[in-house]
Amino acid sequence: MSPGALALLEAVREARATGRLLQGGRDWGVGLEEAYRIQEALFPGPLKGYKLGLVSPAKQQQMGIAEPILGRVHPEMLLESVHLARFLQPRAEPEVAVVLKADLSPGAGVGQAHAAMGGFFLAVDILDSVWEGYRFTLAEVVADNTSGGGFLLGLRRLAHLPRGSLRLYLNGEKVAEGPLEALGDPGARLAWLAERVGGLRAGQVVFLGSPAPAVPLRPGVLELWGEGVLLLARVT
Amino acid sequence: MNMDLEAFAQELENAWEGKRPVEPLSERGLAGIEAAYRVQEAWSRLRQAKGDRVVGRKIGLTSKAVQQQLGVDQPDFGNLWASRFLGMGERLEVPHELFLQPRVEGELAFLMGRRLQGPHVTPQEVLAATEAVAFALEIVDSRIRDWRIRIEDTIADNASFGAFVVAPWEKGLLEEDLTTLALVLHKNGEPLVQGVGAACLGHPARAVAWLVNALAAFGVGLEPGDIVMSGAWAPVLPAGPGDLFTLVATGGRTLSLRFV
Repeated sequence: MSPGALALLEAVREARATGRLLQGGRDWGVGLEEAYRIQEALFPGPLKGYKLGLVSPAKQQQMGIAEPILGRVHPEMLLESVHLARFLQPRAEPEVAVVLKADLSPGAGVGQAHAAMGGFFLAVDILDSVWEGYRFTLAEVVADNTSGGGFLLGLRRLAHLPRGSLRLYLNGEKVAEGPLEALGDPGARLAWLAERVGGLRAGQVVFLGSPAPAVPLRPGVLELWGEGVLLLARVT
Repeated sequence: MNMDLEAFAQELENAWEGKRPVEPLSERGLAGIEAAYRVQEAWSRLRQAKGDRVVGRKIGLTSKAVQQQLGVDQPDFGNLWASRFLGMGERLEVPHELFLQPRVEGELAFLMGRRLQGPHVTPQEVLAATEAVAFALEIVDSRIRDWRIRIEDTIADNASFGAFVVAPWEKGLLEEDLTTLALVLHKNGEPLVQGVGAACLGHPARAVAWLVNALAAFGVGLEPGDIVMSGAWAPVLPAGPGDLFTLVATGGRTLSLRFV
């Protein structure tokens, strides 16, 4: 690793360990591929799956890339309820996740990716970042596991990607809404991801990204609605 | 100590075959959940040596009320024996003399389509790996006299498994909200108990995920074709000769079982 990459790795490691936020926006002289190597070193396996970020072309353009970014999901990141105390600056995004029922090799086509899908579930991505105010460069967010914090996953299995929009309510107030078509074709996403990470395994979960901006989390009741299905959770 | 566990296993096998109950093992030195599972395993080897076959697993103690009764905070599991898979269909009959002190409970059975190996298996992964589900009746039975069981007794006694019957498998049910599927259990024409899927650890797939992660400690998982009886949705009812049990579930799905 380059000296810049080692410095970035150490900065994120220390911030995650101590809970002290960092000022983002620095030029570390670290490219995207090196940032992924930092992520891998800081968040090693075994993995329960992956999350996608920056799935909209507009957001990608803003960050100067032409593909989504990915983060690594560990077993302890799958939550049944949200305790804010375990996060630094938690935000929530309405999402849908897909659970694989078969392995997917690198180079697999979109058709194979569709055949490997074992069901869709509503999900809330609880983002967390070591970068104060979520102001970061591409290398900074990728090194910090793409703001990976925790995830809520609904228990209602859906055979297809829900239609219409995802709506997130916090304490009865609508805080985020976005069209599901913004997520793109999940088959294409999975095929891209399998290629990017060297293959996916049966049982892994992939969070497909959010069609709406992240919102700060507060204690209370979280509702996520998608095509008439509800994910309900408590935030304390 | 090893000798004792083997001896307990032989006692349970004799009780299973001879329909004569034994005194609680927990009153005779069996202590600890791990030792209890070792007795269950030893008994399982005896049954397999006689040609019986494991067709899946059952999960017990999935309701908070039953856990509190036994002073535990988690479920337990046992083997489903091929010799006691009494059939699939709508209207089934079973000889009462197969059992010692049978009781009946209604629940959801899972048919696994893919291999699942813990740890860290999630309920969503269970749903993705399930081929189909079906409403089912389990006959629970105890080889322990008068059901005087502590946690060690029921675990050693194969989680008090007796037999099971299953309604036709349904793939479509997997798209339903399993927490609000419901069943009413009738005995001799009277609707006596009822429950919903949420009564089983909050969601039946959560019970199956618990099972897979518990099995991981024994180095095994669930295999394609395995059946899992995921745990009761309503209180159990005692069964005598001639009793007719009828499970009526969401959408009028019906499964009846008569003791003859």
